[in-house]
Amino acid sequence: MMVLIIGGSGSGKSAYAEEVTVSLYRQNISSKEKPPATKKYYLATMQVYDEEGQRRVNRHKVLRSGKGFLTIEQPMSIEKALAKMEPGNHVALLECISNLTANEMFNQEKMASELQIIENVINGIAILKEKTAHLVVVSNNVFEDGAVYDKAAMEYIHAMGIINQRLAVLAEQVVEVTAGIPIHIK
Amino acid sequence: MKLIIGGYAQGKLDFALSNYHLPNHRVWDGVLPDNISFQEKVEDGIFIINHFHLWVKNRMLEGGCPEEEIFFFLEHCKDCIIISDEIGNGIVPIDPLERDYRERVGRILIQLAQKAEEVWRVMCGIGQKIKG
Repeated sequence: MMVLIIGGSGSGKSAYAEEVTVSLYRQNISSKEKPPATKKYYLATMQVYDEEGQRRVNRHKVLRSGKGFLTIEQPMSIEKALAKMEPGNHVALLECISNLTANEMFNQEKMASELQIIENVINGIAILKEKTAHLVVVSNNVFEDGAVYDKAAMEYIHAMGIINQRLAVLAEQVVEVTAGIPIHIK
Repeated sequence: MKLIIGGYAQGKLDFALSNYHLPNHRVWDGVLPDNISFQEKVEDGIFIINHFHLWVKNRMLEGGCPEEEIFFFLEHCKDCIIISDEIGNGIVPIDPLERDYRERVGRILIQLAQKAEEVWRVMCGIGQKIKG
């Protein structure tokens, strides 16, 4: 199963996503048909450039600590995270689509087209979904500040919109989180 | 305490007034009631704190600690309505202060939502109850 969790900055989406992942993991290890080789992976996409970024990563590490996540750093080409997992039927939490998309868009030596970036992200997630028992994907609501940015940023926002729509089609469940409250929208 | 959140200009205050049928209320706009107002409260009906997010920003700029202050306030004034914009649904601001503001408003709203008896989200003037 795939769950898409979307929310704004400081919405509590990460804490909720962890809860969902832990609960899917418990279901998975208690179900008899599944092989026992199940692990909980956290697929981290954020690249740390400065102290603030480091603080963010640390806050999330504290939030995750004690929950038994194995972390894989995969800032681009998210499907490559699979090669870093042990064989088995795993549960994975990917955080987050906004970083992944930004990395795919702005960190390449040669900038790919928006369409190509959308395909890369969606294909990567589709492969992950297929190869894991459960996949939880965190994405951001970057659409409601009413501001107009430069061309590259608008292209990024547009790509995020299309990606979120396509992820919502792939996902069996879509949940929006605001003020820490989950709202089930699919 | 009741919490009402939503985007800019979505009719949150009007929604609060009609939803809760409040003939006796006082709207505090971007500020918290002071001590004297607390004491007048009983005769004067319910407090509505409007534009709560702006109060958070002002307290940040004034070097205050909105996280502590709002919960101190709520200890003395449990029966109130807090209305706040949701400001986290956008692109990460370049200005570090704006980034911090967005994040802190979000985290405070999570805590307020945990404490609230009811949480409503308003869009196009229509309220959707998301807690309580």
